[in-house]
Amino acid sequence: MTKEQEGALSVYRILDLTDSWGAYCAKLLADLGADVIKIEMPEGDPGRAMPPFVDDIPHPEKSLYFLHRNAGKRSITLNLETVEGIDIFEKLVKTADVLIDNSPPDYMDYLDLDYPALQEINPRLIMASITEFGHSGPYKYRKGSNLVDFAMSGVMITSGYPGKEPCLLPGSPAYDAASVHANISILCALLMRSATGQGQYIDTSVHETSRMGLYPWIVPNYSYALNPGGPPPTHETRMGAAIYPVYPCKDGLIRVVALTPRQWDALVRVLGSPEVLLMEEWRNFMYRIGNTDDLYAIMIEFTEKYTMLELFEAGKREGVPIAPILNIADFYNSPHTKARGYFVEVDHPVAGKADYPGPPYKWTETPASIGRPAPCLGEHNEEIYCKELGLSKNDLVALRGAGVL
Amino acid sequence: MLPLENVKVLSFGTGGVGPDACKIIGELGADVIKIESKDNLDFMRTIGPDINNIGQFNEANRNKQSFGVNLKSDKGKELVSQLIKMADILVENFRGGVMKSLGFDYENVRRLNPEIIYVSSQGFGGGGPFSDHQAYGPMLSSASGMLSIWAQPDDPYPVGSNSPLPDHMASKHVVIAALAALDYKRRTGKGQFIDMAQTEVAASLIGEHYLDYTFNKRTAKPMGNRSPYAAPHGCYACKGTDEWCAITVFTDEEWDSFCDVIGNPSWTEDPKFAGLLGRLKNVAELDEKVREWTATLDAHVVMETLQAAGVTAGVVQRAPDTLADPQLKWDNAFVELDHPVSGKRLYPGIPFHLSDASPLQSTPAPMLGQHTEEICRELLGMSDDEIKRLLDEDILHSPANTESSGKGMFG
Repeated sequence: MTKEQEGALSVYRILDLTDSWGAYCAKLLADLGADVIKIEMPEGDPGRAMPPFVDDIPHPEKSLYFLHRNAGKRSITLNLETVEGIDIFEKLVKTADVLIDNSPPDYMDYLDLDYPALQEINPRLIMASITEFGHSGPYKYRKGSNLVDFAMSGVMITSGYPGKEPCLLPGSPAYDAASVHANISILCALLMRSATGQGQYIDTSVHETSRMGLYPWIVPNYSYALNPGGPPPTHETRMGAAIYPVYPCKDGLIRVVALTPRQWDALVRVLGSPEVLLMEEWRNFMYRIGNTDDLYAIMIEFTEKYTMLELFEAGKREGVPIAPILNIADFYNSPHTKARGYFVEVDHPVAGKADYPGPPYKWTETPASIGRPAPCLGEHNEEIYCKELGLSKNDLVALRGAGVL
Repeated sequence: MLPLENVKVLSFGTGGVGPDACKIIGELGADVIKIESKDNLDFMRTIGPDINNIGQFNEANRNKQSFGVNLKSDKGKELVSQLIKMADILVENFRGGVMKSLGFDYENVRRLNPEIIYVSSQGFGGGGPFSDHQAYGPMLSSASGMLSIWAQPDDPYPVGSNSPLPDHMASKHVVIAALAALDYKRRTGKGQFIDMAQTEVAASLIGEHYLDYTFNKRTAKPMGNRSPYAAPHGCYACKGTDEWCAITVFTDEEWDSFCDVIGNPSWTEDPKFAGLLGRLKNVAELDEKVREWTATLDAHVVMETLQAAGVTAGVVQRAPDTLADPQLKWDNAFVELDHPVSGKRLYPGIPFHLSDASPLQSTPAPMLGQHTEEICRELLGMSDDEIKRLLDEDILHSPANTESSGKGMFG
C-alpha cells in the first residue's frame, strides 16, 4: 500500500515521541497524509505490550491497540538518553514541522531537548507537549491513568448503571480528549506559521482537556442552577436508563431519545398506540423519569414485538429518535457501514491482513486514508537513517551495538 | 495574532456537535456566524422556558454571532447566499437531507463559492441506508458498538451515561477536519467537501475492539472498570453517599506502595496478591478488601494519601469538585461570561495553550438574531429601511421581533 493521492497534510513531517496514550494525536495527522515518524526507544513503545493481541499471542507487532493507533506511521528506534542519540535526533528536528511528546514534566529539559533548545536548531518547529496535569501547578508531579483521569473529568459520576460503581467509557477517553486538543493546537500553529515563519510551543494536559472537552455542559448546568429562577439543580449521579431508556426488542436492544411530548407521542405511535401508553401523564418527561421502573415494565411488552431495525425505521417515520444498540459485530456488518466503506483492509507484515476502522470522514479533494500499516519496531531505520541522514549500514550496526538505535 | 484571525465561518445546525465545533473555531479567533431560524429553532434553544437563557445552548454557542433569518423565504436564502460567498468554512450538522431541502447542499454552495470548505457532520454520514436518520448524542454510542461494551459485566443491559458522550469528541474531529482543510486551501486555493459520520468517530475511539473482531473473530463484551493488566483498577466507594475514588495499580512497586499506605494489613501478605497474575485472578476478593479500606475515608483523603505515596488515584468528581480542583484553578480553567439574559455564569475555559498566540477570548452566546442588523449593515451593505422592512415581514429575526419564551421541551 502506498499513498496514491495527496492528503491535506502531505507536506508536513511529524516526529511522534508519544507512547500509546498520545498515539491518537499523530494518527489523525497520518490519516490526512502527514509523514509521521514514530521515534521509539530501542526496546519499543510500551504500547506494543498492550492487550488484546492478534491470536491472543503477546508480541510487539501484534497489539491491537498499537496497530490501530499507529497505523499510517513509520518507526525508527533511537535512544535519546545517549550522546549520539541526541545528535541524530537534532538532525531529524531540522527536517520536521512538528514534534509531539508525552513524556512527564521536566523530562525533555533533562535531556536538554526543551523547546528553546530545539527552536535554536529549527525555528519553524512546532512542539506539542501532552502531560497528565500540565507543566506547572499543584498536581504537576501526580500520576494519572486513563481511569483516574476520566474519573476526575467530572463525566464518570453520571456514567454507568444506576446505583452501581461508576463505569469507564470504553477506549481511552481522557487521553483521546488530550490528543484531539493537541491536534487542533498543532493545526492552529501550522496556520500561524504560514504567516509568521515561526514555530511555537503547545502545552496540553489530559486533566484540563478531559474536563473541558469531553462534556462541557456539566459546568453551565451547575452554574445556571445556582441562581434563583434557574432550572432545578440536578443531583449528579447515574440516571442513564431514566433519561435515555434502553428496551429489549426481538433481536437485541434499542435506545430511545424521547424528551419532548411530541417525541413521546411519536414513540407511542411507533408501538401501535396501545391504550396503556395513551395516559396523559406519560407525556410529561419528569413524570416518566419518576416512574422509570413502571414504564419499563409496560414498554417491554410492546418493544419486544419488533426488531431493532423495524423500530429504528419506524422512529424515523414517526419522528422519535430510536437507535439500535449494535454490538461490535453488528456495526462492522451493518449495511450502512459497508456502504460507506468505513473499514479498510490493511496488510501488516507480521500481524497479517485484516479490516481496520478507517478515518471517520470522507474528503473529496484530499482523501483521508490509512496510508500504511502500523510500523514494526525500527522498520524504517535504514530508510531514514541511511537514505535521508546519510549514515552507512556499518554506522547502523555500530549504533545498534552501542544501544543508540 | 489569533490562530484563525480573519477566517469567516458559517455555522448551520443544532444540538451539540456542529455548535461545539464552531464554538471552538470562534474561540481560536475566527468570525463565526450562526444561521438561525425562529420557525426551526436549534433544539437546544427549546429545552427551557426562555430560548435565550439555556445553559447548554449558551455554552455550545459561545463565540458566535447570530443571524436570524427565515430560511424558507427566497429573500432569506438570497441573503444567506451572499454570506456563503464570503465564507471560508461552512459547518452543518442538520439531519441528512435538510441542507439539500434548503438549497444549501454542497453542490449548490460550491456554485456560489467554489473554494469553500464544507464540513457536514451527521450521525451516520452520507452514502448509505441510514444517512437521513436523525442522531442525537446518545444514539452515537448506541449505533457504533460503543454502548454495547459500556457497562459492568453484570449489568442487566448497558445504559452508558446521562451525558450524550461521545458527541463532544465528534465535534473536535469536525474542528480538525476544518482546520486541516483550511491549511490545504491556503496552500492550493482548493476547497472541498468533508462528510463525517459521528458513529465512525465513536468506532474509531474503540478501534482495538474492532480489530479484535476482524483479527480474532471476537465480539467484545463489557469489562466495566477492570483492566486485563492492572489490579486494583476501579472506582471504590468512600465515606458518604455515592462518593468514589478511582485507583489504578499497574506495577508491583505501586502495589507495595499501596500496601504501605493502607498499613500493610495481614491480607496484603497473602501470597495470592503478591504478583499481578495473582491479583488479577483474585480480583473480586481484592476489590472487596480495597473497598473495606476506602469505605471509612473521605474520597479526597483516599486520593491525597495514595498520590503522596506514588499510587495513581483520583476522586470521581462532580461539577463543584472540578470547580474547586486545585490544578484546574491554577490553570484558570473556567471562565465567567456575562450573557445579556442569563447574566454572569461559569463555563469551561479554553484548553488551547499556544505560546505565541494572543490570549484567546470567549464571548457569550448570542440571543436569537442578536447580530442580524449588524451583519446586514456591515457585511451585506443593506440600508436601515430595507433591514426594517425585512424584520417587519419576518424574513429577518432580531431579539426585538422574536418571542423568546418557549414552552420548554418538558412542558
